[in-house]
Amino acid sequence: MEENPRPRTILETCGEEIIRIVTPVSICMLSVVILVSILNGGSSSSGDLPISSMATIAYTENSSDSIWDKLKGALLNSLVFVAVVTAVTFLLVLLFYLGCTKFLKYYMGFSAFLVLGFMGGEISLLLIQSFSFPVDCITFAIVLFNFTVVGVLAVFMSKMALFVTQAYLVVIGVLVAYWFTLLPEWTTWVLLVAMALYDLAAVLLPGGPLRLLVELAMSREEDIPALVYEARPVINDSGPSGGAVQRRVWREGRGRPVMNENEGIRSNTRTVLASGENERDYVNAEEGRADELAVPLIQHVNIRMNSTEDNVPSDDLVLEGIGLGSSGAIKLGLGDFIFYSVLVGRAAMYDYMTVYACYLAIIAGLGITLMLLAFYRKALPALPVSILLGVLFYLLTRLLLEVFVVQCSMNLLMF
Amino acid sequence: MTVAAGIGYALLALGPSLSLFTAVISHKPFLILTLLSSTLAWLMTLIALSAVWRAFLPFKTAAWWPYALLILTSVAFQEALRLFLWRLYKRMEEILDAFADRVSKPRLFITDKMQIALAGGMGHGVAHAIFFCISLLTPAFGPATYYVEKCSQIPFFLVSAIIALAFATIHTFSMVIAFNGYSEGKRVDQYFAPVVHLAAGMLTLMNLASGGCMIGIPLLYGITILTLAHCGKMVWTTLTQNRSRVGNVLY
Repeated sequence: MEENPRPRTILETCGEEIIRIVTPVSICMLSVVILVSILNGGSSSSGDLPISSMATIAYTENSSDSIWDKLKGALLNSLVFVAVVTAVTFLLVLLFYLGCTKFLKYYMGFSAFLVLGFMGGEISLLLIQSFSFPVDCITFAIVLFNFTVVGVLAVFMSKMALFVTQAYLVVIGVLVAYWFTLLPEWTTWVLLVAMALYDLAAVLLPGGPLRLLVELAMSREEDIPALVYEARPVINDSGPSGGAVQRRVWREGRGRPVMNENEGIRSNTRTVLASGENERDYVNAEEGRADELAVPLIQHVNIRMNSTEDNVPSDDLVLEGIGLGSSGAIKLGLGDFIFYSVLVGRAAMYDYMTVYACYLAIIAGLGITLMLLAFYRKALPALPVSILLGVLFYLLTRLLLEVFVVQCSMNLLMF
Repeated sequence: MTVAAGIGYALLALGPSLSLFTAVISHKPFLILTLLSSTLAWLMTLIALSAVWRAFLPFKTAAWWPYALLILTSVAFQEALRLFLWRLYKRMEEILDAFADRVSKPRLFITDKMQIALAGGMGHGVAHAIFFCISLLTPAFGPATYYVEKCSQIPFFLVSAIIALAFATIHTFSMVIAFNGYSEGKRVDQYFAPVVHLAAGMLTLMNLASGGCMIGIPLLYGITILTLAHCGKMVWTTLTQNRSRVGNVLY
């Protein structure tokens, strides 16, 4: 039967940007769940590894404490952690304001080196031990060193292949998230909620450090120095051939756009979009100091526009009359990856049913945040909705759903 | 059970869904999003049901009628969800058509609409398989396996995987039938999905009797095959009608 070439429907491309963000988030969560299952499977009590870090400086949880004590201790820990993160973020804003962006960039490379080298090495050693994998120290050291150096270059330089950069960012997210799951249970949950609330305050309140940072970056037309995952931009299939002019549209709350045009092919533009400058980043607690947090916000979504369209509705895009295609890429801060994975990793320590429920809740939260982003067009905190939904679903599943499902299944009653 | 057996059970329950996913759904991002949303919706109904029934569980009696009531209420609630999803889908369809007009692409074809229904149904099926079968596999890794008294010929996990496969198929295709029925106004199709769902749920009550699963599960598969056949016939007639209406241009 001869088949006419079917015209491509919108079903084939609609929603592609969202999937391009959901996929790496899912991969990060899956990796953390697998790591947690392999490495923490033996010891169910979290008291085995007393991690001393900024997050447990106030109170070290003991499984024999009463619930009220644990709650108080966890609150204290979280308060300390959030206070440290706030202070460091303000420091970062100050440095950015003074223009020390090179320093920030080098610092980011250095912390990527620490995360990949030391934490990656430690986790690899645990894995090697767990599987009794035969490898000698010299080979291990060389491989680890090479891996780390390529990772630092990927994070540092913007001329690296996008896939490699994306992969290394996901790996960094997995390593840091795994480290966080080693914290005691109550502390982890209260910390997650505290970070979600902090994110909400820091991005939306007028004096919040992240909001200041975004406004500074917008007014200077620079990129925020941060470890940010950027999804591959979606190029329209009917876009202009070659020499696509890419633009990045920043939006003020009310709609005064600040545009930054760049010519050239996608990789060059990616250079600009991926902020050749600097990044702020998240480094952790090996040595017990928690440093700044990667910008946990979603950058602007550039609204996709079909290049053949000339009259764009004026309320959403301000590119009327220019008529050239632009494609957008959603950016998600690495801190968001980390905290989502921490939540799912913690859920994995209880049971996999909570993992599935929390995964769906987090993806739903991410979808809602992206929709809000498309609606409000300004930097939005990515943590609150997902974390709060995730915690809610975890509690509901653990307390209500599990009993119900197990009862039904054991009697082989299904619907 | 061993890890290999665990993977086997998981593939048994989800294998056909996985191949359907890879072949049809994974190429279209919108369908992946539909799948995730309908899985989430099904999970939410399950949580709501468990919130209601939690106070009464575990059942102390060995009588069958509390279980029948449980299944009846659950199926009723989930069918209400199906109606709600239909309303949501109608609005989504309008938005998508408006978007298609704006970017001057063709509107949704009938096959697109059926694919969306398929993705929605598969979300339900996958959610069922995951929560009723697969989430019980992971705590059970280890040297032994588990048998239920009432159905002692095969391990519990295998039975639940087989039942989950049947239900996943029923959910997937009855959504296509239901959406088609709602859009064309055919009563038979509209009532098909709830009736089949209820019948399948009630059939699992047979598993409460000792040895009941020997009869219950083949009957369940009978219902599954009925759903598949009806869906196939319905899709065939819709497509041939559509093609003869529109001519050979659009497929």
